[in-house]
Amino acid sequence: MASRLLTRSTAARLLSHLRFSRALNPSDHLPAHGAGLATLLAPGRGLPAAAKPCPTRDPTRWFSSPAAVAEAPTTADGLTVDSIAGKGWTILPEAESDWRSHAAAVAQSVKLIKKRLKWGWILERSRQLSVVLERPDLWDDTVFAGKVSREHGELMGKIKSVNQFEQELMEHIDMLRLAREEDDNELETETMRALADMRRSAKEKELNALLSGNNDSFSCFIEVQAGAGGTESMDWAAMVMNMYRSWAQQRGYTVTIVEEMPGEVAGIKRATIKVDGEYAFGYAKAEVGVHRLVRISPFDSGKRRHTSFAAVAVIPILGDSSTRYQIKDSDLRIERFRSGGPGGQHANCTESAVRIVHIPTGITATCQNERSQHMNKASAMAVLQSRLDQLEIARQAQMNADHTQSLSEISWGNQIRSYVLHPYRMVKDLRTNYEVSDPDSVLNGELDDFILNFLSTSLDEADGSP
Amino acid sequence: MLASASASASFLPRPKPKPHLLKRLASALTPPSPLSPSTGADPDPDQDPTPLFLRPPAHPVPAPSLAAFRRRAAALVPPSAPHLHRHLRWLLADAAHDPDADPALLRAPLGDLEALWLRHVRDRRPFQYVVGNEHWRDLVVAVREGVLIPRPETEAVVEMVGRVEGFEAGWWTDLGTGSGAIAVAVARMLGPEGKVFATDVSEVAIEVARLNVQRYGMQDKVQIRHGSWFEPLEDLKGKFMGVISNPPYIPTDDLPGLQPEVGWHEPKLALDGGKDGLDHLLHLCEGLSSVLKPGGFFVFETNGNKQSEFLVDFLSTKWDSSFHDVEAVLDFADIKRFVTGYRR
Repeated sequence: MASRLLTRSTAARLLSHLRFSRALNPSDHLPAHGAGLATLLAPGRGLPAAAKPCPTRDPTRWFSSPAAVAEAPTTADGLTVDSIAGKGWTILPEAESDWRSHAAAVAQSVKLIKKRLKWGWILERSRQLSVVLERPDLWDDTVFAGKVSREHGELMGKIKSVNQFEQELMEHIDMLRLAREEDDNELETETMRALADMRRSAKEKELNALLSGNNDSFSCFIEVQAGAGGTESMDWAAMVMNMYRSWAQQRGYTVTIVEEMPGEVAGIKRATIKVDGEYAFGYAKAEVGVHRLVRISPFDSGKRRHTSFAAVAVIPILGDSSTRYQIKDSDLRIERFRSGGPGGQHANCTESAVRIVHIPTGITATCQNERSQHMNKASAMAVLQSRLDQLEIARQAQMNADHTQSLSEISWGNQIRSYVLHPYRMVKDLRTNYEVSDPDSVLNGELDDFILNFLSTSLDEADGSP
Repeated sequence: MLASASASASFLPRPKPKPHLLKRLASALTPPSPLSPSTGADPDPDQDPTPLFLRPPAHPVPAPSLAAFRRRAAALVPPSAPHLHRHLRWLLADAAHDPDADPALLRAPLGDLEALWLRHVRDRRPFQYVVGNEHWRDLVVAVREGVLIPRPETEAVVEMVGRVEGFEAGWWTDLGTGSGAIAVAVARMLGPEGKVFATDVSEVAIEVARLNVQRYGMQDKVQIRHGSWFEPLEDLKGKFMGVISNPPYIPTDDLPGLQPEVGWHEPKLALDGGKDGLDHLLHLCEGLSSVLKPGGFFVFETNGNKQSEFLVDFLSTKWDSSFHDVEAVLDFADIKRFVTGYRR
């Protein structure tokens, strides 16, 4: 293993020195275990930004090393991203044409992106996976082999995308020096512009790296449950649910109500919505926990100040069938609304709620939103499937730390955010200390700043190796 | 729940007989005034036969007017009948192109909608007749006065057909198809060789079934024939892989006790099964052997436990030589709702 890494890094270094010879055959740089693996290494869902066309790349695209290199790319005189970032070059505004400032800004971004991607962990994990991939008996268990090769492919996609970005930076720096040596003004301007472009796309990649978790790109269910405190907290739960519905609609997601248990007087005891769209889970998972409201309760005739709580859970809807929990029909008990009495032609009843119980785990799902039982059953099954998938994810949580808690696991002590409407007005995230003084805008769905703040804080403060 | 809805309904004003007239001539000037007690609900003779949800959204209504209607309509719902709030939501979903738009485009004038809602809340006219559809399985089945509203229990029939080996390629018949719900749902599962022949004696049913077949583009798969039970199938004897039917099975004596939505508004023709409720079921059993191929399957919906037990016993003793694996099948409420079996 070590020897191959050495050869690969040597090859990369050689390549960066010899990169004017364009005729190099890309397959020379593939790892030793052959063409079969090459297809497995094709990036799956990698960095979200990797799919976006990057205009800056075009002129120099053919310079980049096609191999996914785990070692840091360097310039001709041995600069690396780390050394650039370590030089403490002043970062000037983008408009200033100073290559050192651009390079330093990009290098900082790359370091941040790596931290967010948990770079040390993914390098280690991809190494472990390649060892597993080389086992001759791997494909005896095709499901396992599929999982391993998919994960490996995804990780390699991420590594490759970052390495290419670094490589690109080094190439631009070399190119700029070359242009200066040769007094080629045109090349110098062009390269300077390319560096400035890189700076912009680096910012975008930073954001995208916030959503690089395994399930981040999927749709999700959001569940809200009212805490103790009767009508006031049921009303609060309804407000929280509305906040998510508006947030999701503003982001262009499709929202459907799956289940709703209305409160006796107002609000909801509990409700589930489905949020459909790319990265819905990646964003919404930042909202898991208990939300606290302080206000003068409109339900209290004494006009006293009340504090109420609502718990929020978020469940990803896994797209990939091979990682999903396999449900056996015999494990299900399906309960439908029945009007009692003789049924059939005797009754006209539009109530068609369906509740499904997964007997081995006791997990249940209800749907009452659709107008036919058949459709309610299908929706409830989808919810059940996701809850069981979540359980499965939780089981594997030690591995990928991508576990979000279900409603039953969320302790009421786990407050993440306070919404104060009286005696002053403020929304404050207790995890990031981010706060705004306009609760109405937040309750109307302006949550992105809270979410991005939380995502970056949680990822950037994590102890990721460089 | 329903009983209390009816109790509070009696406090409400009675409708005028012609909602559109009400709207055009009087509604703006005079509040609806009580009339003589209504005699149940005959379909309005000059009412548009197109189901509400299929009419063009040609009536712009400003959002405040619609909101006011919503409040008025909700105020008519007694606290004991929360299902009516659901119906109101669905009514607006079906009657408006986009209920939240301003102006909202309605498929009927607001006055008509108001009259429809009154008739639903007060006269217990089934919600499905009001909007002209019933959501059944994954279908939105058009219905109107004169055809039975498909029941959720009956959804299971389609699944039973889907479990018959080789069903995709067979010819099936749905006897007394009514709205055509079963015929369309089965047709949608069939392969290129499969066909459904749907019969009904009621002209209204034929019309509605035709509409539903068309709406789901099943004209090539479903043939609708007018006539009583097997009569229109003379030319197809012995050709069927399966016979499906949800015939009238309620004993005549039970009809007066039915819930108002059913007893006052749905067609007797589709409910009344004669003295024991078995008249039509027995007729169907007798005809089975002549239309089914050897090995063919049948499924009937029945009034429940006693009828099903009787039919199972009848078919497997008297006609043991003609049928095998005759059994009663439970519905989701654990009532023996269906009788199924195979021709020898």
